[in-house]
This record gives sequence, C-alpha cells and structure tokens, in this order.
Amino acid sequence: MLSCRDFVNNADRLLDRDLRVSTRIALQIHLLLCRHCRRYLKQLHRLVEAIPFMHNKATEEEVRKVMDCIHSHSNL
Amino acid sequence: METDKLAQLKSGDPALFAELVRDHHRALIALTVPIVGISEAEEVVQNAWLKAYQAIGSFAGKSAIRTWLGSIAINEAKMQRRQRKRELLFSDHGDENQNTKDGLAQRFTERGHWQHPPAHWHMDSPESLLTGEQLAECLERLLTAMPDNQRCILEMRDASGLSFEEICNALTVSASNARVLLHRARTQLFKLVDHYEETGEC
Repeated sequence: MLSCRDFVNNADRLLDRDLRVSTRIALQIHLLLCRHCRRYLKQLHRLVEAIPFMHNKATEEEVRKVMDCIHSHSNL
Repeated sequence: METDKLAQLKSGDPALFAELVRDHHRALIALTVPIVGISEAEEVVQNAWLKAYQAIGSFAGKSAIRTWLGSIAINEAKMQRRQRKRELLFSDHGDENQNTKDGLAQRFTERGHWQHPPAHWHMDSPESLLTGEQLAECLERLLTAMPDNQRCILEMRDASGLSFEEICNALTVSASNARVLLHRARTQLFKLVDHYEETGEC
C-alpha cells in the first residue's frame, strides 16, 4: 500500500502523465482514499499553472530597448 | 492567446509585439542566465526577440507563445555559448543537502502518512496565486536563495513549458536528474505558498 509520502514523491510525474500504468493506478487508488493527498495534488497542479505568471512585467524602458533594436534591424 | 490577437500579432503589429515583450522578457532573461551568465543574458534575449519578430508569422500556435519564445531564447543562448567557447554554468550536483532541509519530510509521520497536511488554499486564478504583494516579495527571496540548478529547471519546465527533451539537450543533464531538481524546486514553492495560505505570513 502506498504511503502519502510515496504519493507526494510521485505527484510530479502523475501531473506530467509520465508513469507506468501500474504505478498510476496505485496512485489513483490512494487518491480515492486520502483527502489530504487529493488536496495536495489539486494545489500542486494550481501552483504549477501559476508559475508562468511569477515574473514581473518588463519596465517600459526594457520594452523600448528591445523595440528600438527590432526597429533598427527591420522596416517596422 | 485569442485567435484575432494572434492573427494581428502574426501580421507584425508592433504595439502587440511590444505587449509580448512586456509580458515575457523577464522570464526569457531568467531562462538564459544559467546558460550564458547574467552579463550576457540581456544580449542573448535581445537577439532572441529579433528572431522572434522575424519569425512570428510562422508561429503555428500549437504550443504556448511563452514556450515558443523560450525555445528561441534557449537556442540563441546555446549558440552564443558555443561561439564564445564558454563553459556551461549549469551543474546538476551540489545541492544534495537541500533535499532534507527543504523537502516535505517533516510533514509526514514515520510511516509516511500526513502529520501536517497541506492547508486549504484560496485560489482565484493562476495569475493571482503567486502575485500577492507580500507573497511576491517572499517568492523573490526564495528564488534568489534557491540552488541555481533547481531554479534553472523550474524556469525551463514550469515557467516556460519546455519539454524535458529540450531541457536535457540544453543543459546536458539526464531526465531523471532534471526531474529530481524540478521536484525539489516545486516543493520549496509549495511550502512557501502553503505557509502563506495557512498563516498569512511568509
């Protein structure tokens, strides 16, 4: 029987669908029985979805520098 | 991205392209720093933007635009590193002790069941989860303190959506090591958000 620790150690691969069928089934069964791991997986999934948004937007100065360079290399 | 906006972008609309730069520039810098170093990352990303602008008409929209831009930036970084014959800064060793210190090990009983289960998070949207003012500061501190190799994989895989194949190819790291590093990085982030959601502090 899988422990919660085993579940957590395999949760990344479960999200990436990168597991053998037998392991995936064992994790799915564990999920049915364990609300804490259900919450862990749901929140890990939301965290991974949020990571692309963790960077601040570039400043106007940074944007201008990039656009000036593009402008000087093309007929913008 | 909506179809209309994408079509406009592909037709070369400079204002929309500037919007793209605003949204993705910082992520591309973070992506290339581990490959070429901080002093050259800006130049590399500048060249990547130029190539992206020239090629935007061929962007098929099959991947996220961040992933498409990320691949261009990584290729540019690899090329620059080869041209200047620089050593790769990335190493997949050197943070073995981080695992016990920063993992979730203390949250489980000896038999591996949750002793301190995750808090219930208030999640409105992916955009808002990591951008609360107080949390953003702590996140910045965490990312700065995170071992470079973990942060590097986090930027490539999760922030830019690159495949493990591309990551392994760019960093000459095995897929299994890349996965271990990604797991450690995500775990640190998870702990940060969990603590913040539980206590309102971080």
